[in-house]
Amino acid sequence: MKRFIYLVLFGLIFAVSSLAQVSNQMPVVTRTYAFTNINIVQGPGRRMDNATLLIKDGLIAGVGKNISIPPDAIVIKADSMYAYAGFIDGLCKSGVSAHYNGSSEKVLDPGSPPPALAGINPQNEVRTMLNPDDKEIEQLRNLGFTTAQVIPQGNFLPGQAAVILLNGKSANEMLLVNKSALYTDLIGTRGIYPSTILGVMAKWRELYRQSELAKTYEHMYASNPTGLIRPTSDRILEAFYPVIDQQLPVLVKSEKMMDVQHALALKSDLGFLLLLADVKEGWPLTKNIKASGAKVFLSLDLPEEKKMKTSTEKPTAFEDVEREDLEKRKADAVSKCNAQPVNFQRAGIAFGFCSYSAKVKDIPANLRRMISAGLTEDEALAALTTTPAKFLGLSDRMGTVDQGMIANLVISDKSYFLENAKVQYVIVDGNVYPIETKTGIKIEGGWTIVIQTSRGSMNDRLHIRKEGNTYAGTYFSESLPAPVDLREVSLKGNLLSFKYKLGNNPDAPDMVAEVTVTGKTFKGVVNGARFKNLAIEGVLDTRNR
Amino acid sequence: MSSIRTIYILGLILTTSMASRGQVERGSMLIKNGTVLTITKGVLENTDVLIKDGKIIRIEKNIVAPAGTKVIDAAGLHVMPGIIDTHSHIALDAINEPTDVVTAEVTIKDAINPSAIAIYRALSGGVTSTQILHGSANVIGGQSEIIKLRYGTLDPNELKMEGAPRTIKIALGENPTRVHGTNGGILPRTRMGVEFVIRKAFTEAKEYTQRWDKYNKDKLVKGFRGMPPAYSLRMETIAEILKGNVIIQCHGYRADEISMMLKVCKDFGIKRLVFQHANEGFKVAPELAAQGAMASVFSDRWGYKFEVYYSTAYNAAILTRNGVVTSISSDDPELIRHLYHEAAKTIKYGGLTKDEALSLITLNPAKQLGIDSRVGSLEVGKEADIAIFKGHPLSIYAIPVMTVVDGIVRFDRDNDASDMRLMVDPYPTTESPVFLLQHQAYEDCLQGTELFFSEEK
Repeated sequence: MKRFIYLVLFGLIFAVSSLAQVSNQMPVVTRTYAFTNINIVQGPGRRMDNATLLIKDGLIAGVGKNISIPPDAIVIKADSMYAYAGFIDGLCKSGVSAHYNGSSEKVLDPGSPPPALAGINPQNEVRTMLNPDDKEIEQLRNLGFTTAQVIPQGNFLPGQAAVILLNGKSANEMLLVNKSALYTDLIGTRGIYPSTILGVMAKWRELYRQSELAKTYEHMYASNPTGLIRPTSDRILEAFYPVIDQQLPVLVKSEKMMDVQHALALKSDLGFLLLLADVKEGWPLTKNIKASGAKVFLSLDLPEEKKMKTSTEKPTAFEDVEREDLEKRKADAVSKCNAQPVNFQRAGIAFGFCSYSAKVKDIPANLRRMISAGLTEDEALAALTTTPAKFLGLSDRMGTVDQGMIANLVISDKSYFLENAKVQYVIVDGNVYPIETKTGIKIEGGWTIVIQTSRGSMNDRLHIRKEGNTYAGTYFSESLPAPVDLREVSLKGNLLSFKYKLGNNPDAPDMVAEVTVTGKTFKGVVNGARFKNLAIEGVLDTRNR
Repeated sequence: MSSIRTIYILGLILTTSMASRGQVERGSMLIKNGTVLTITKGVLENTDVLIKDGKIIRIEKNIVAPAGTKVIDAAGLHVMPGIIDTHSHIALDAINEPTDVVTAEVTIKDAINPSAIAIYRALSGGVTSTQILHGSANVIGGQSEIIKLRYGTLDPNELKMEGAPRTIKIALGENPTRVHGTNGGILPRTRMGVEFVIRKAFTEAKEYTQRWDKYNKDKLVKGFRGMPPAYSLRMETIAEILKGNVIIQCHGYRADEISMMLKVCKDFGIKRLVFQHANEGFKVAPELAAQGAMASVFSDRWGYKFEVYYSTAYNAAILTRNGVVTSISSDDPELIRHLYHEAAKTIKYGGLTKDEALSLITLNPAKQLGIDSRVGSLEVGKEADIAIFKGHPLSIYAIPVMTVVDGIVRFDRDNDASDMRLMVDPYPTTESPVFLLQHQAYEDCLQGTELFFSEEK
């Protein structure tokens, strides 16, 4: 019994301390949440409207119309909102710290440098380099990404990738799958071997062949060592063993056509499982990619779309004609990038997406560009959820909104792919993150306000403060005997509204203020009782009161 | 015996062509009424060349085009075999791996960029094939690749001339001694050092082969238990040179180093040897001929560094008259467009016949690359790699009008849009004078070695 109390106490302390650390996460009092009356897109092409979504202990505990809500659940009314499985990022550069590989050391013989300096570190594990404090994790999460494959920093063979949850206070909490792939980017090190694509490809082949031989011999030695020369341990070669066994794929960053070509050439020579990632220019090689059976993570980056001038006059000068032709070809190249996902889809190449070289803020717009080029919303959703889950061998725990899956979810106010859709909540591993739309507007603090009435202007004060995810406030008026509380303070975009009563008497009449915030001022009207459209203006105090 | 060997070679070609994923496009056409310069069988006036699925199937007068076959009217035009350049660095993303003296394991096929506009420019000069070589920064550079200029494909595998022999670059003289010796402070600093590096590498490869041969033999014994020798892709490649499976393409200017290399190859029993540049080849022409070594030279380009001073425009003619299989090559993305002019100079300097002069850029380079049974002359059974000229190709007024590779028109002067790029980078780029300078140095023998000439070293 005593032990139980300790446990409870410990749990409380833990809850409080975690509250203090993660400010934008809902306070952890219970791990049971119910989102009610929500439209659930359970998976591509699978939708259930006006249902309840129950989350318990980090898992999806129920999805349906007749779910009974446990008494300890926090109920979130999600009327008209949309829930999707959390997005999975196939290659992400966030959440990882730089790792010292000795690159400042001087190399005496550039032809045979120490492996670590030449970027030959396949034995390194990214889990030892995870950084939960990386701000970019939050940026990605705010878009709906809940899971990501991360890689060690560095070129050529910097180490093994891992799958992490975009959540957690420690590397251990973040880690979902250690060693998800052997990562390589086929980029050499300036001035030492291998320095160019020529050396890189040769070294890759040699390392692989050496690993095959070492592995075979180790196997022979292990079965009966007597009389055999003892094989020396080699961490670099050992890192390739699971690749040779086809238990670990090789993840190759392959942005451009030539990068894709190099990755396919290695796969064709050596026969490993291949994950192409950050692919931007794979479309010229659609047939080859399809034939290779490689899995693909397309980049969520797209080149900027330049609006073509719609001038009616045809250029006549030679250089103008040439310039116009060049612009047309460039625009055509951009549209090929937009259409790459739909063309892969039609060609039957399974693909996911990755954020690696994309600007995070451009990702929703880029998804919409891919959709206007012909990709369906369901296909886009599959590339963000079910397909990457399958690629990473995680289909049994994520990718769809089904009972028993890890509670990784994204909830938006409208269908996610609509232009003005806003993410409302992201749930990672059962932890709920309410997402505020960043408008750059700050309303907390003291306001000096002026309300124009028929009897002249009233010079009053407001005080607005933040409480958890919502706002609260107090109204100090010269015409009221005591301050009154503000109710239903809401900020949507730059529209601020709140209610208050003229006095603390429950029967006192209700007033409703609706104002537009511009910088540190607002303007609007107050209605209620016998008053109609009283002009109200406010200025936020810069002094702290 | 010979039939077994044929089957073996056929099998080899088949497996190589299957390994390259690309499905090479081959076409059919009838080229009518041209002046056909066959190279091997004289000049045939008003003659037709019939091509089916990329091969020449008939060369006769008055051929009636099979139904549906494209007909090209070559009346008043000269039809010759496509020009072959044994020495260029076009269509490559990297030319040198300049970090080590011996880098036999690297292969230029890994850097082929099929979207390079240089391929199209070469086609516009009647070129249909070229050997793209590793640079000359290292003593034993890297494996080279023989490509057909199938401009239009974006699959590098489709550019490779399927079944063509393997070749490798070796470089003597100033380039490797400057990059590694003078600037890197390591072997080789002199021509003696270069010879030592080659002999050492060949000797090690010989021992390497012996170790593996023994291991592979031991392994055949049932119940064998033992450790395999260390594996080295570098040694594997050099061993293939010693076995005669890789043709050496040896960059060398001076007569003394050419003689040295002849001796080294004799000592190691290497028979397939082509000298690139061979600026002083004329001094050792009988020795080259005696050993069956070949030479690929410039017509009259010299003086750009110390080892290229003792020069003559008669070089190609002297080599030819001494029985050396000689070619003229470009080593340059601009010169590659007018190799027919370069060949013509040997008529002025040395009095070669027209057929001999044309052979310098067709049949002879094909022999040097081991592809002369397939290309290099217009003969029934050969591949339809053809250049069509207005005016005789050896005339200063010659204009290439059409270039055909495997029976497919890859260059047509009448369909030559101003922008023939295959790929356009949709991401913004900034062009600057610095960029242009870098570009100029790009397709060069010493590309990628700038770092090794920095003042720090």
